Amino acid sequence: MPNESPTPLPHPTGPLAGYRVLDLADEKGQLCARLLAELGADVIKVEPRDGDATRSNGPFFRGEQGPESSLWWWTMNAGKRSVTAELRLEAGRDLVRQLVANADIVVETFAPGTSALVGLDYAALAKVNPGIVVVSITSFGQTGPYKDWVATDLVGSAMGGHMYLNGDAERGPVRTLAPQAYTQANIQGCVGALTALYARGVNDGRGQHVDVSMQEAVANAMDNAQQTWDIRRVNASGPGTGRNVGGMVGPRYLYETRDGWVTALAIGGLVGPKCGPVIDWLAESDEANGLDGEEWRARLATGLPLSPEQRTHVEGTLSAFCRTRAKEALVAEAQARGSGWAPVFSPREIVDSKQLAGREYWVRVKHEDIGESFIYPGAPFILSETPWAQRGRAPHVGEHNAQVYGDILGLSEAELRRLKMKMVV
Amino acid sequence: MDPELKKPFAGLRVADFAWVGVGPTVSKYLADHGAEVIRIESATYPEALRRAPPFINDTPGIDNSGYFANFNSSKLGMSVDFKHARGPELVRRLVEKCDIVTESYTPGTMARFGFDYETLSAGREDLLMVSMPLYGQTGPWANYMGFGHVLQAAAGFNHLTGWPDGPPIGTGIAYTDFLVPHFAAIGMLAALDYRRRTGKGQYIDFGQYDAAVHALGTAVLDWTVNGHEQTRMGNHDFDACPHNAYRCKDGRYVVVSCQTEQHWERLKAALGRPEWCDMDRMRRKAARLNEEKEVDRHIQFWFEDYTYDPRVPTPPPPSDAPEGPPPRLFTTEEVVRLFQEFGVPSGIVQSPEAMHADPQLAHRGHYWTLNHPTMGARTYDGPAFRLSLTPGELTKAAPCLGEDNEYVYKELIGLSDDEFVELMADGAMD
Repeated sequence: MPNESPTPLPHPTGPLAGYRVLDLADEKGQLCARLLAELGADVIKVEPRDGDATRSNGPFFRGEQGPESSLWWWTMNAGKRSVTAELRLEAGRDLVRQLVANADIVVETFAPGTSALVGLDYAALAKVNPGIVVVSITSFGQTGPYKDWVATDLVGSAMGGHMYLNGDAERGPVRTLAPQAYTQANIQGCVGALTALYARGVNDGRGQHVDVSMQEAVANAMDNAQQTWDIRRVNASGPGTGRNVGGMVGPRYLYETRDGWVTALAIGGLVGPKCGPVIDWLAESDEANGLDGEEWRARLATGLPLSPEQRTHVEGTLSAFCRTRAKEALVAEAQARGSGWAPVFSPREIVDSKQLAGREYWVRVKHEDIGESFIYPGAPFILSETPWAQRGRAPHVGEHNAQVYGDILGLSEAELRRLKMKMVV
Repeated sequence: MDPELKKPFAGLRVADFAWVGVGPTVSKYLADHGAEVIRIESATYPEALRRAPPFINDTPGIDNSGYFANFNSSKLGMSVDFKHARGPELVRRLVEKCDIVTESYTPGTMARFGFDYETLSAGREDLLMVSMPLYGQTGPWANYMGFGHVLQAAAGFNHLTGWPDGPPIGTGIAYTDFLVPHFAAIGMLAALDYRRRTGKGQYIDFGQYDAAVHALGTAVLDWTVNGHEQTRMGNHDFDACPHNAYRCKDGRYVVVSCQTEQHWERLKAALGRPEWCDMDRMRRKAARLNEEKEVDRHIQFWFEDYTYDPRVPTPPPPSDAPEGPPPRLFTTEEVVRLFQEFGVPSGIVQSPEAMHADPQLAHRGHYWTLNHPTMGARTYDGPAFRLSLTPGELTKAAPCLGEDNEYVYKELIGLSDDEFVELMADGAMD
């Protein structure tokens, strides 16, 4: 076989080994397809001749922009094969349809209606392959008054309601830097893909169209705010350093430590029937600030909401206690005393985390093309019989043209050369 | 739905020991797509969400929580006291009739009652079981307690959410509870498809933390490859400008997000090409990113000048107003429509109330209304995806505690009427 590529690594023991997926997706579907690859499917990313548009998404390796240096591309397309096909040309679209005839799932993110214009919509693809599962992930879904609206991650977070729940009254709503609307659309779309794949198995091989809405995916991430409106007619909103409890801003859950921050519900466990051990902890270091008295103990154990003055006193006591201590030591001690605290971790601290090291989580991925290897996130789930596997680095533009078009479509080298001349691949 | 077609998971039965947010969301996918999912609960140790608001009439009650209800549509409810002498045996007899077991207890809890995978799968190779506690079955934190609200901190969402000069406030919700279940469902469904083809089940050790790290976008590789730590930037983005939420006259916020130069050109046109847009340092994204604050200031001024609150009477024009007709003003909805007509990615930061009135979500039928015996007609979230041939269907409201005991104990576990009554009187179903 020509141009034997080191990526993707074979994964015959994955639960989806034997399935083939075509990835025609932008930010809204690339993670979905990558997860299918990591579960064993052969995922083929179809790019235009000059490379996929998301190859220009930052940040970049060493800060230098180029088609092979986007860390977005590296992260979201690892373990896939790449072919080029010019979808603006009928010959390019024909190549895609031939691949569809040999595939099980297509993940695509075309704006609603545009794939029909070029004969790549579900109806056209089902004619080529009635068993195909076409997963269409769009901002608002295939139908409805907003179907043609354009959206990025930020718009998805806003229109999906999630952003309203973040931030505070003074400075308004705020987003999460890592794109959560895209993530939600990807992973919920992936559940849809696998549901349709399973349905195909029990329904004589009939494929179907899976219509995924980013807005709805975000709407599903609103905690209990949806029901709080439905039942109480109260709009939960950004609670700052507190948290939303059924539409009210609950006590502060974020505390500064000597070396960062910790999170702890119910004022670190000082409120509620199990407050005793935390009060004892403060008392042992003479920092209970009176909370270890009988009256306070009884009051806190009821778990009833505190008055503003009481809250200030309790939160202040915990604040002072945390400020002189290191976060991981605080969390370990709180956990030992039965209280569910966690440290606020940065990306570096996550990579250094003892827990993930203990799980042997991280994977080292070889980038033979630049002579280096880098740490990537590991298994999101550990399957005892059919494991998840990282499949190597993301592909270069058209890295697998000869392999894919040769092996799957049976194109000869001469035919491939002709397609290159015609600027199809 | 074509009557010839089977719902995707029809014929599968699920013993659902999971609780709070993560586990029930995973089995909800199965239930809403045809599986018979049985919530296994206890009256003595009621599931935390049943005790969490919002409650009907603000009255706490085991069958009054909307929080619990939303994640448990289409499921049956059975109750059992694991600590009753016969409890574990009854549960094991139920699991014999099930294809899938889901649970999210702290590691070791299931084993204590003899519900570990080894015991439950003895004598059969087709059982699929998913365990999904916060930190998985192994590692130094395996027994750590917590909820999505604190896991979002350990998993980086606090660090990445907030203003650059402020604390790591994180999302205002228990975010990972609404993120990681989809990952768990992906692993489970892949294993389920494998089981359909081979007859083989397996055990899935799902750690919520492990999955959450995959939702950090490029933050991990930016550190491991470039040694650069991403951190919260308010509503800005390192790769797009303008990129923010702007306040309208009625107090609501509209987001504008220009990822590409094309988006930026369209925004300029929508704003009426004010002069500042065409300054040299505004022309290319790379340069514009350095001018974020100025870009924001100009756009915020535009929103102040061109939006109005229809609830407030318009004041007369100031005496020094320029001659000619007053500028066209826009409501918050109209601003977004204007921008969208020009192809600018933009939208309203919608409140829960606005979500319930959203014409797009209404068109999609996102919210289902289901009748609950004690809670009445309430709205439930549907799946974010529609299958064209076998769409999801929320078949019933969440179960009351032990609502289906009679069916489960008699039909599935195989108790006689007398045994059923005897065990109930003896507290086995508490």
